[in-house]
Amino acid sequence: MAPESRGDIRELERRALAIRRNILRLIKAGKAGHVGGALSMAEVLAALYFRVMRIDPARPDWPERDRLVVSAGHKALVLYAALAARGYFPEELLDTYGALASRLPGHPDMHKLPGVEASTGALGHGLSISGGMALGLRLSGLGSRVFVVMGDGELAEGSNWEAAAAASHHKLDNLVVIVDRNGLQISGPTVEVMTYEPLEERWRSFGWATRRVDGHDIPAILKALGEAPFQKGRPSAIVADTVKSKGFRFAEGKVEYHYWKPPAEEIQQAEADLDEIERTLVG
Amino acid sequence: MKRGEMKDPRKTFGEAVLSQAEVDARIVVLSADSSSGSGLAPFKKRFPERHLEFGIMEQGVIGYASGLATTGKIPFVAAIAPFLTSRPFEMVRNDIGYMRQNVKIVGRSAGLTYSDLGPTHQSIDDTALLRTIPGMVVICPGDPIELVKAVKAVSEHVGPVYLRVGSPAIPVLYGSDEDCPFQIGRGIVMLDGKELTLIGTGAALPRALAAAEALRAEGVGVRLISMPTVKPLDRELLLKAARETGRIVTVEEHYVTGGLGGAVAELLAQERPTPMRMVGVKDRFPPSGPYEDVLRDNGLQPDQIAAVVREFLKA
Repeated sequence: MAPESRGDIRELERRALAIRRNILRLIKAGKAGHVGGALSMAEVLAALYFRVMRIDPARPDWPERDRLVVSAGHKALVLYAALAARGYFPEELLDTYGALASRLPGHPDMHKLPGVEASTGALGHGLSISGGMALGLRLSGLGSRVFVVMGDGELAEGSNWEAAAAASHHKLDNLVVIVDRNGLQISGPTVEVMTYEPLEERWRSFGWATRRVDGHDIPAILKALGEAPFQKGRPSAIVADTVKSKGFRFAEGKVEYHYWKPPAEEIQQAEADLDEIERTLVG
Repeated sequence: MKRGEMKDPRKTFGEAVLSQAEVDARIVVLSADSSSGSGLAPFKKRFPERHLEFGIMEQGVIGYASGLATTGKIPFVAAIAPFLTSRPFEMVRNDIGYMRQNVKIVGRSAGLTYSDLGPTHQSIDDTALLRTIPGMVVICPGDPIELVKAVKAVSEHVGPVYLRVGSPAIPVLYGSDEDCPFQIGRGIVMLDGKELTLIGTGAALPRALAAAEALRAEGVGVRLISMPTVKPLDRELLLKAARETGRIVTVEEHYVTGGLGGAVAELLAQERPTPMRMVGVKDRFPPSGPYEDVLRDNGLQPDQIAAVVREFLKA
């Protein structure tokens, strides 16, 4: 990837804001949702969908496309928000979130919406599915890559470590994990609930090459994603330090916003916070 | 194959997959340290790049199979039955069933065939579990010819399949390939009769056949149906049997709860209530022991099946 100009960075920051606005739009339609871990991934998904991944929203089944699997399926809001922003489907569809038989269910369904690569929700499934995709792409002689967004709390699922071992055994260097290390899960801080720290060491001991980035710093995210695979013949794990509910200042870093059923005044506050971000993005 | 010849079902399965793989380059095999025991060593030798090893990783291997299928491969995952069904059930349900992926799960050494290894290795709830998954086809071939035909049919069928295979040698029950009109979703009338219908599936079929022959020698008009597909059930054939014979007995190496017996009862109770008996494992963990003895302990030997039929006809 070419070095990023200031204008490129600013454009992706605006895309991340648009994703956050779409997340709020979804919440307004559905009256509730898993907002904290969606907002924390806005920059990463902006970078992936608007810069890094080789994709064509008009051809969501293009065999040579790169794939993104959101293993922590409760991050559905950021996936829907990014897919809509990238033009996979009309943004009006976001307003059906929460309705009966919506094409945007509480967890993503690959058969309902273009651009959704796997039906996730139960934790600890996405990495093995993604590993299978990476293996299948390689067997088919395609150079496509598979990106996987995982939660840090999700890492307690043992099935992830089966998948991680198999990925390095099979030398899947077309597989890139991004761990959303926002440090919080439903019951409290992840290090208190069930720690898998130090995360990078865990991944490295399973044969992965790792990087650590500030998950809200677009140049840093682009640099890490651009350098993957970090080592030939090894899968890559990027531990992204993030702030849960990033962008809604009143909710940032607060565990109670893992799932949010907002009163009207908090919706207004969220809108004001996003407007404030927009003012910083001029020029 | 000649009628009466004994065949190792795992070897027959492995040969059948290999012969499909020769004509369909999309077929890949996933092993959980299980392919040599599943008759797939010749496949590994012939197509090493299409044989993918995962070690003893039975949750992960299901997800990998699902991901491979999204890229157009047709994965066959074969291992000891409980380790691909009850252990990774959520992966099978979500990653293959809900995601509607074209994966063939092969539970081998299913039923009581690992009798001596005890309840951890016996697989008598796999059919019950997997047939709750929408879109999942469940097939339990009852003889080597059904097995070969089933492998070809499931390779060509687009969608998730559970194929249930035993391990001790099983006899060829059909005189020729033409005698076995195997099709997914269809039962096969092996013997006709008007008094009672005996339905066997999987490794229980030869014992059901032996029971039926003994009863017919006594003059009892037994109809024998082989029901290799437990899901979707052959509705027409079952309703016809219920209408024409009025009594149904199911025979299976599985819990009667949720197995063939349960499936047939669910259908008949709603469409044509019919008196039934169910031969199979009752609500218990069977003992460990020699296969023939464990079958007897669960009422699955031919003389025991015949006794159930005689008692039923008197009732």
